Amino acid sequence: MSAAPGRVVAGLLTAGGRAVTFRFDGRIFQGLEGDTLASALLASGERLIGRSFKYHRPRGIITAGPEEPCALVDVMTASGREPNQLATTLLLHEGLEAVSQNRWPSLAFDIRAALDRLSRFLPAGFYYKTFMSPGWAWERLYEPLIRRAAGLGVLAPVVGAHAEAAETLHEHTDVLIVGAGAAGLAAAAVLGASGLRVLLAEQDAALGGGTLLDARWQAWRERRRAGLVRVPGVRCLERTTVLGAYGHGVFAALEVLGAAERAAFGGLRERLHVIRAQRVLLATGAIERLIAFPGNDVPGVMLAGAALAYLRRYGVAVGRRPVFFINNDEAYEALFALAAAGITAAGVADVRPASHAAQRARELGVDVLCGARVTAVRGRGALRAVQVVTGEGGQREFAADCLLISGGFTPAAALATQLGSPLAWQESIAAFVPELAGAVGRVAGAARGVFGLAAAAREGALAGQAIAAELRGREVAAAAAAAAEAEDAGLPADAMATPMSPLWEVSGRGRAFVDLQNDVTSADVRLAHREGYEHVEHMKRFTTHTMATDQGRIGGLLGSAVLAEARGVPLSEVGQVKARPYVQPVPFAALAGGEVREHYKPKRRVALHDWHERAGATFVPTGLWLRPLVYARASSWEAVLGEARSVRRAVGITDVSTLGKIDVRGKDAARFLDFVYANTFSSLPIGRARYGIMLREDGMVFDDGTTSRLGPEHFLVTTTTANSTAVLEHLEFQLQANCRELDVLLTDVCDQWAQFAVAGPRARAVLSAVVGGRELSNAAFPFMAAGEATIAGVAGRLFRISFSGELAYELAVPASEAERIWLAVLEAGTPCGISPYGLDALNTLRIEKGHVTGAELNGNTSAADLGFARMLKPQGDFVGRVLSQRPALEAADRLQLVGVRPAVRTRRLRNGMQLVAPEAPTASLGYITSSTPSVELEGWVGLALLAGGRARIGTRLTGTSPLHDERLEVEIVSPHMLDPENTRVRA
Amino acid sequence: MSAPDLALAALPADILEVAAFGGAAPKLVRRGAEAWALPPLGRVSAAPAGLALAVRPERWLIVLAPQAGGTSAARWQGLLGTSCAVVELSAGLAAFFLAGAPAREVLKRGCRLDLDPGVFAQGSAAATQMAQVAVTLAALPGGLLLLTPASTARHLREWLMQVGRAFGIASVSDVTVAALSGEP
Amino acid sequence: MLRIHCPWCGTRDESEFRYRGDAGRVRPAHEAGLASFSAHVYERANPRGWHLEWWLHVAGCRQLLKVLRHTQSHEIRWVGRAEEPAPLPEDCAP
Ligand SMILES: [Zn+2]
Repeated sequence: MSAAPGRVVAGLLTAGGRAVTFRFDGRIFQGLEGDTLASALLASGERLIGRSFKYHRPRGIITAGPEEPCALVDVMTASGREPNQLATTLLLHEGLEAVSQNRWPSLAFDIRAALDRLSRFLPAGFYYKTFMSPGWAWERLYEPLIRRAAGLGVLAPVVGAHAEAAETLHEHTDVLIVGAGAAGLAAAAVLGASGLRVLLAEQDAALGGGTLLDARWQAWRERRRAGLVRVPGVRCLERTTVLGAYGHGVFAALEVLGAAERAAFGGLRERLHVIRAQRVLLATGAIERLIAFPGNDVPGVMLAGAALAYLRRYGVAVGRRPVFFINNDEAYEALFALAAAGITAAGVADVRPASHAAQRARELGVDVLCGARVTAVRGRGALRAVQVVTGEGGQREFAADCLLISGGFTPAAALATQLGSPLAWQESIAAFVPELAGAVGRVAGAARGVFGLAAAAREGALAGQAIAAELRGREVAAAAAAAAEAEDAGLPADAMATPMSPLWEVSGRGRAFVDLQNDVTSADVRLAHREGYEHVEHMKRFTTHTMATDQGRIGGLLGSAVLAEARGVPLSEVGQVKARPYVQPVPFAALAGGEVREHYKPKRRVALHDWHERAGATFVPTGLWLRPLVYARASSWEAVLGEARSVRRAVGITDVSTLGKIDVRGKDAARFLDFVYANTFSSLPIGRARYGIMLREDGMVFDDGTTSRLGPEHFLVTTTTANSTAVLEHLEFQLQANCRELDVLLTDVCDQWAQFAVAGPRARAVLSAVVGGRELSNAAFPFMAAGEATIAGVAGRLFRISFSGELAYELAVPASEAERIWLAVLEAGTPCGISPYGLDALNTLRIEKGHVTGAELNGNTSAADLGFARMLKPQGDFVGRVLSQRPALEAADRLQLVGVRPAVRTRRLRNGMQLVAPEAPTASLGYITSSTPSVELEGWVGLALLAGGRARIGTRLTGTSPLHDERLEVEIVSPHMLDPENTRVRA
Repeated sequence: MSAPDLALAALPADILEVAAFGGAAPKLVRRGAEAWALPPLGRVSAAPAGLALAVRPERWLIVLAPQAGGTSAARWQGLLGTSCAVVELSAGLAAFFLAGAPAREVLKRGCRLDLDPGVFAQGSAAATQMAQVAVTLAALPGGLLLLTPASTARHLREWLMQVGRAFGIASVSDVTVAALSGEP
Repeated sequence: MLRIHCPWCGTRDESEFRYRGDAGRVRPAHEAGLASFSAHVYERANPRGWHLEWWLHVAGCRQLLKVLRHTQSHEIRWVGRAEEPAPLPEDCAP
């Protein structure tokens, strides 16, 4: 077990924390509760964390937060291996096991690091150019090679049940504040005091932002935090990153649960908040920038602000002999803090001629070289020395174990740009600054280039007041601001700072990186420019600069600056690449939330579901519905044909409750149905049902079903199961958009009625025993009759309609009575040999009869194609009428519905089998849409859509299924293969 | 046994939809007022016999104590006259009552409405989606009334029990319409 | 994601609505003939700018709404009932 030599003082987040044991690359380490993996490794003196993406160069830790480009690890969990976790934000917990990435066989010795020496053969854009030809080589040679060599983490090939569940929360708030630094906390106080609902999202594990790094701000921070807890309208979410802005005030945020809450929620790890806010306040701070110089990626090079953060937050000194390379006064804070902890800097290269902070550092006895820059570093796996050129051109070399750099600060503008913010160049900080329209929100503090904690707090309060004034009125806002200000008396003053001086790149021998995660150098950017990629977004795509998971947060602007220099234009003209959602990698599990596995989509169950289950049914999902497919453990033709045979020979009962049912009432109900159906319903007598087809406005068939007239102004429309939702929406649309003058009410009654079809030669005998108050003879209740009936004592409805082609009735009863009635029919049918049948048997029956379903109503078939041309009413308007008369729809070679039988009756048909002429076996004339072994006819029967099909009836073609290597001769027949005279249904 | 923090109960009820024909809504509201104050859109009202919810313009859902024989629809059609359609939905909709302080916090996990008590206050009603299925919601004293199509009732109940687990949800015995129809 | 202010239900998420196409077009009278219907069904201006649209509030009041939306910014300037006259796109500031 390693000791923790780097822990030099008590850290704000780790003080008092108990020891936590973890593993990195198999070795055992100890850290403290409150540590991140990065801080614990640094405390243990570990520098080398991984190998880089392209060149396999050794890499360490660069930052102390979510902007980290290098310190990515794989984490081993109970449920598998999770790649690309940021060591800088990953909270340490007992038993954590992390593994470094992209090295083989070990982190210290990596064979492919030789790639680094070959790098002149691997320039930017190399994938595009080098692997262009020959074509075959991509798949067999290049891709496997590249996949092995490149990439970061390892994605486990088989992911088991993901034990680490997530959930989605829908949030509504008046104001979303992103970032709980000085600006965010100050704004929250004002907004909360105004009585507004506030959601304060902070990506860090603790509220405070920059105030966590300055001991003078501790009292203010504690006061603010305690104050916010007391305001009921304010909610603070820690460990919550706002991932993206989606317009209309909608944001997504990912919360990583703390240990206690995680336990309370049964192991829940993440929570995706979908936030709807009236206004947003972006107090996202600024991100310290990299400087491009040769060797700026050697382990030991780190941002100066990160060194400050490790010391303040975790009590960890990142080195014993630091050298600084900086261009701004803020970066000296790390130097002063380390000095106070007893660690004196070996030297400072400040690019500016003089500064306030440099003067203070000299007073501490530090060797500060002004007007100087770092030209090279020594050391490969770990930094050993730093070479500096002074303002006068002199060379100096400092022995050092770390180099702390700062190229200035870039406002974190990703969310602002997603909200459409323009970016304005601000010379004083050499960065782009966002601004939001007032109706969207505000940007405050370092996020809009206002540096200094006191300045940020004042800005935040003002932004809060401005938003409160818009939402709650000026007086309320002013009073709230005054109350908050009274508490703020005596804000620590910001130090006097000398302006920064931009420095993007120091040229010299060796690679200077602008993107450490994707291994993009300044030379790559220049190459992009030479190749003609002048626009920053084109350069991005050619070089992959900023395309890694960190989206170039610390180096993005460097690439723009190098491109600007190459183009000979100011950086303000080049701009910076646009950051897109998500601002950080998000696990798919978090996006899926609770809608996984059995909850992936809802299931609709019929009232009789439990009975079907007890009867041993196999279910098939149809849309959201679960329908009984066959009453057997698995569907076999034997079981299906047994059920179908029982219908043809005796009687069967099936549950058709999933059909859509729409109640249509009103004095114009008949006129409305005449408009939405292609055939006529106004002439339908009361107590009768009629088969109808609906067209889309483009003239194609949309849906079919029977509609019954229950009263002069009362109809019941049925739809197919698959289209039930779409038909209801279609009818509501037509009624409200095109028939506003009609007085019609539509009500979805699908779930109110359980509906059963009782079919077979003995159906009348069965139903006579359960239907009261109605005679069922042909004279009293003929084919297509419909009306009220008492069924086993329950008020219901009876329809004499048939999908199977047999004598059949459909009976409808309130769904709450479904099981009682179903059982009553079964009991009454026992002497007749009744048996239930499922969807597969229903399919067999309707194919024999030539009835169409979704396979034939596929959106490309017209009424004429399906043989329904005569149903179209000759007079009057209806949806689809005009376009159904397009000349092309009358072409003789349209695909038309026909029946198909194998010439050799023992051969089988297949759905999807192509129909071809024997002399032209590759020219498809059509295809089989549905097929089944037949009950009544010998062998298989099928339905097909065939070019000029009706004219081919009586001819023979070849059915071919190259996939199954099958060919057979088929007879083209009428689709009405069973009882074409319809005698059975009228029996 | 003490009451759970969060209790899910089924509500056996007869449910009717009353929909006004063109232009008849004001007359219907006047006529209905003799028996019942039909609420304005977005509200739920209570009378001794039950609840009325308005979540669609010129339509009301009437939630009544179950009557043997299902005569409610005919009785209401008689009461309200021919200026409206009374559609029987007793078997088509399932009703639940979710009671307890964390109810709204739980529903945030699948409901996109703003359920803050200051926004969706007592007496509010709305049609929306929850856990991907259609739900009509009403805020009553002590809890939330949820109506969902009968075919999705089991899905909704299972979902509520799952997301409610961390909040101590328990399935309790049925509530009655009479218990809920105190003035909200 | 759009948030649409339904005049009946209040502001709701886009997922509660079903888009039903261009509301700037009126269905021709059926005598108008093939060319008119062809244009009605198939021809679209596809503007970069203001666009009047039908949205059916399927998860709420089931009313058909007219929505004036900017196709580039997604800003919604106006929502009305199906029968309400909408402001003309050309009268809207960009
Ligand atoms: Zn609505």
